[in-house]
Amino acid sequence: MPRSIWNGTITFGLVAVPIKVYSATESKTVHFREVHAKDGSRIEHRRICPKEGKAVEYKDIVKGFELSKGKWVELTDDEIAAAAGSQSKRLEVDHFVPASDIDPDFFERTYYLGAGAKGKDAYALLHAALDKAERAGVGSWTFHNRERTVVIRTLDDVLALHTMRFADELVDPRDYDLPRVRKKPSAQEIKMATALVEGLSAEFDPTAYQDEYREAVLAVVKAKAAGKNIEPPADEEPESGDDLLASLEASLAAA
Amino acid sequence: MPRPLWSGSLSFGLVNVPVVLFSGVKDTNLHFRQLHAKDHTPVEIHRFCAEEDEEVPYEEIASGYETDDDELVVLTDAELATAAPRKTRTIAIEAFVDVEAVDPIYLDHPYVLLPAGDADGTARAYRLLLEVMAGTERAALGRFVLRTKEHLALIRARRDRLVLTTLRWHDEVRPTKDVPTPTKRDKPAKKEVDQAVGLIEALATDWDPSRYEDTYEKRLKKIIRDKSKGKTIDAPETEKDPEPVPDLMAALEESLAEITSR
Repeated sequence: MPRSIWNGTITFGLVAVPIKVYSATESKTVHFREVHAKDGSRIEHRRICPKEGKAVEYKDIVKGFELSKGKWVELTDDEIAAAAGSQSKRLEVDHFVPASDIDPDFFERTYYLGAGAKGKDAYALLHAALDKAERAGVGSWTFHNRERTVVIRTLDDVLALHTMRFADELVDPRDYDLPRVRKKPSAQEIKMATALVEGLSAEFDPTAYQDEYREAVLAVVKAKAAGKNIEPPADEEPESGDDLLASLEASLAAA
Repeated sequence: MPRPLWSGSLSFGLVNVPVVLFSGVKDTNLHFRQLHAKDHTPVEIHRFCAEEDEEVPYEEIASGYETDDDELVVLTDAELATAAPRKTRTIAIEAFVDVEAVDPIYLDHPYVLLPAGDADGTARAYRLLLEVMAGTERAALGRFVLRTKEHLALIRARRDRLVLTTLRWHDEVRPTKDVPTPTKRDKPAKKEVDQAVGLIEALATDWDPSRYEDTYEKRLKKIIRDKSKGKTIDAPETEKDPEPVPDLMAALEESLAEITSR
């Protein structure tokens, strides 16, 4: 396990649970760096003042917020950090919700909570009680100068922490209008489509899916390294079926 | 209406629904720019070749990959594009799963999926899928390529629309086995668990996302306002870190007594 990224204490009531926070996920996207195409030289990003047409040194850079066109308020890193509030190492959980009521769109990132050196009994108690109550704790956590709403729940033997999106960050799908339909889907179409859904029903098994694109990218890298010629593949486009009922019938017959 | 991030088709058996994709998340953050200190000119980022010390136009930028034996492999955008799977414009539904069976740890970015155009056939096929998914409480699993990356995506009904959430690949989720957990010796007594459950129940509410607000953005707005009026911004006081309590049972009892007396 990599090193913990934050150490602190969960409090619920007067109980304090020392914890260590670990990232639960890691991106496996293949990363490239920018290079000059002709010889692979390193590319540098330089800050240029467009007025002077010259590079600006880092010490001559400040952060600004644009109040109105061309009118900037300059802020230091410390002033921006002050927005985080008290930089506390306390993660206060003050209410508990049924985790299954939370719409998936609110979940942002997941972390694992490890038990701190002291107070492992308190960690075990919180874990056992959340399990038994079938609830998740909600609290607020300041991480990287930023305060977030978090949900803490049990996952196997550990506690998992999810950072949550705020309601005003989510788009309401109903803000988008749907085109009117002349005729609603018929009872027969619904019946057939439901049968098709049932026919394709499966357990969610995330291990059944591999990132084939990641593997394809690595294969292209390998081919290029071996000096092979890389040819683009032809595109395939599906036909859009006009007759909904006929398409459903054919799909069911094929299933 | 913003421009869609992606357009293509959702295929379900032999039914194809032309669809467009919009982000399900709004950027509510305040953004800062880097400025030249002396006159507040916003600086621009330009790309330079470190060898030649010359600016490099965008067309001359390629992707470099460093192999394990420190060899640099250079790929052009066209070469990299050959890795993209063939059916780049289709989300093929492979299976339908229980929404609740998908652990939140897999959830990545939410999107809204809408019918493309207003052709009657498209609108009807979309409504059919929406109605069936809402009725069965199932979500569709499929793959699709957004920009240059392939994603596993979960499509479900939410608020009378289809929404899509990209999922993390299973090997991007770390195992829990290396996380330090309590030992058997730390196992709580039954009466402690009961007392803690009592505390949880005393603090139980429904999930109501509207009660949480982004206090960070709120404070940041105030700081910007104060600074623009020439006020000094003070660093907030740091709180004392809480200490583990020696007697869990006593702490639980005291907490419960405090809540019930409110």
